[in-house]
Amino acid sequence: MKFKADEIASVIQREIEDFRGQIQTSEVGRVLEVGDGIARVYGLSDAMAGEMVEFPNGTRGQVFNLEENSVGVIILGDYLTISEGDEVKTTGALLSVPVGNAVIGRVVDPLGNPLDGKGPVISNETRPVEMAAPGVAARQPVKQPLQTGIKAIDAMTPVGRGQRELVIGDRKTGKTAICLDTIINQKGQDVVCVYVACGQRASTTAGVIEALRAHGAMDYTIVVSSPSSDPAPMQYIAPYAGAAMAEYFMYQGKHTLVIYDDLSKQATAYRQLSLLMRRPPGREAYPGDIFYAHSRLLERAAKLSDELGGGSMTALPIIETLQGDVSAYIPTNVISITDGQIYLEPDLFFAGIRPAINVGISVSRVGGNAQTKAMKKVAGSLRLDLAAFRELEAFAQLGTELDKATQAQLDRGYRMVELLKQPQYEPLHFADQVITIYAGTKGYLDLVPVAQVAEAEKEMLQFIREQHSEVREAIVTTGQLDDTTEQKLKSALEHFKTQYARKQ
Amino acid sequence: MVDNAELQHRISSVMDDPGARALAHVYGEAYLNAIPEGQVADYLEEFESFLSDVVEKFPEFSQALLSGMVSRDNKLRLLQQVTEGRASEIFASFLQVLARHERLPLLPAIYRQCLHQQELRTNHQRVQVTSARTLSEQSLESLTQKLGAALPFQPIIEARVDPSLIGGLHIRVGDTVYDGSLRTRLKQLQARLRERSSHEIQSGRNRFSHSAGN
Repeated sequence: MKFKADEIASVIQREIEDFRGQIQTSEVGRVLEVGDGIARVYGLSDAMAGEMVEFPNGTRGQVFNLEENSVGVIILGDYLTISEGDEVKTTGALLSVPVGNAVIGRVVDPLGNPLDGKGPVISNETRPVEMAAPGVAARQPVKQPLQTGIKAIDAMTPVGRGQRELVIGDRKTGKTAICLDTIINQKGQDVVCVYVACGQRASTTAGVIEALRAHGAMDYTIVVSSPSSDPAPMQYIAPYAGAAMAEYFMYQGKHTLVIYDDLSKQATAYRQLSLLMRRPPGREAYPGDIFYAHSRLLERAAKLSDELGGGSMTALPIIETLQGDVSAYIPTNVISITDGQIYLEPDLFFAGIRPAINVGISVSRVGGNAQTKAMKKVAGSLRLDLAAFRELEAFAQLGTELDKATQAQLDRGYRMVELLKQPQYEPLHFADQVITIYAGTKGYLDLVPVAQVAEAEKEMLQFIREQHSEVREAIVTTGQLDDTTEQKLKSALEHFKTQYARKQ
Repeated sequence: MVDNAELQHRISSVMDDPGARALAHVYGEAYLNAIPEGQVADYLEEFESFLSDVVEKFPEFSQALLSGMVSRDNKLRLLQQVTEGRASEIFASFLQVLARHERLPLLPAIYRQCLHQQELRTNHQRVQVTSARTLSEQSLESLTQKLGAALPFQPIIEARVDPSLIGGLHIRVGDTVYDGSLRTRLKQLQARLRERSSHEIQSGRNRFSHSAGN
């Protein structure tokens, strides 16, 4: 591309002619000591807590501690070029990030600077990183479903729009995979997704972005990345920055989904900051306000009242446990803040049950109201059935002779477990989920060998889609499984059953 | 009033220890409060003369006062001998208090704090004015008048020269800086050009490029 030099020159000339420099007034202080992402500053006598300050090299910082003789500042950026005696200026503003449509599809750092090499993020609007959560009057109960596309979750621990559902489990149990599938399943649902990678390996985040791009999910997703190589202050503010970006759309009346991957790393970063700032350590050396750090973040997820546009922000925080220890400090804190948790177990994962959700202790406290009627109808007894199956299975391992009814219950249980398995990046539409679970619980797949259940399920869904599309259509449009539809579904499944048996 | 030159005890680029400064503030304020009304100037002069005529002139004496090898009682006795009959009663007992609390090394800092406090009490405050070139007596005079009219106190101007400002003035009152220097304005202009023009060029690419050249 060739540029017209004279055009550009005239723009610049006009800008210079119009420029009226104003006297800059600011509070200043001087750096007493600096290191490990924090600085202690003398002066700044009128600085406010949480105010943004500026160092001579242009790096920004945030006032963190106000002490008698000095101010503790966390440095958001390169702290190696800041030295003792440097002048620090207040800006009179709170830390804010760019928000709006310009950020969608971009990969940014917690300050909103682009990381994807696609040029500057040009947005006229910004939003403070720390915002008060909507109050009681501004909210309404969660009532719309947020389809994750994962059978086990949508059937037994449904997530509603505006809910906070914790995803918890040991390392390598598929926590991120569940959240990615959820993002991918929002395609065409008009939900803006924000993925906050906090303290993750940069290579993992790159993989996540690649997966999102490959499935066309980057068109409606913002990725906020603060890899583990970032200084602790950046990792600490990353979730708040992501929340601010989603919040903007929530107040516009849109639906949003935020994933904080993961909050245990953020807690570690915050612990590092607090200890460097000499705040007194508490349990596991975390500072006293670690609970508040997480609760004020997760409280920002809400379903707004209709007067405020009815937008919503669903949060899926992730917590990594050590050796399945859910009673550690951070996991118990976040469990108590959220509206339920999805618990992933390594034992299940290695037994090939993926997603490795332990349905026994996974709960959703508000999602039930948000479940579609059809799903509620077919999945109502699923959790209890599975629990009964687990008990029987343990009993059957003793090798005792079983009566016919018990054996049948066991067989169906094996097939249900098989049916709830789902490969990654293949979220299912809720109508397909309803059909699958209906077929499983009503025994239409009882004659299929356990190893072939997944294959049979695929064939069945294809069969319904091709030859009985009116059944699926009815479930999609009404969201219900009324008697007539159920009758039609029954006959369709009967048809499939005989056809499948003939083929064998 | 004390001369401007008198406050230049330390190099301006070296920072005070904030802890020591806070302590010195407490002692300085206490000393000022102990002085009978109307005699502050005399007592401060005595303080200054103790620092310049005794402590600085006799290094052995100040070493003895600061040394950890000399016991507190010996320091007290030494001070008593030096001050008896020569210093005022208040100043002598002030030195005794400092010696008892092992705060003698803070003496110069306490003196600075006394001056500072006294200035505040008489509604004066120091203002650091930095300019690119040396300011003439006349311009300093008019600056003092203008600042006096604009600020709620009488300014005591400490003029400094920093050629990197290019032009204009940089005025610092306490922690607040009023920056009207050319350097800062150029920086503002640079930031604005970068922000606005890049925005304009991004939003209207056709205007700036030849359609045939692509």
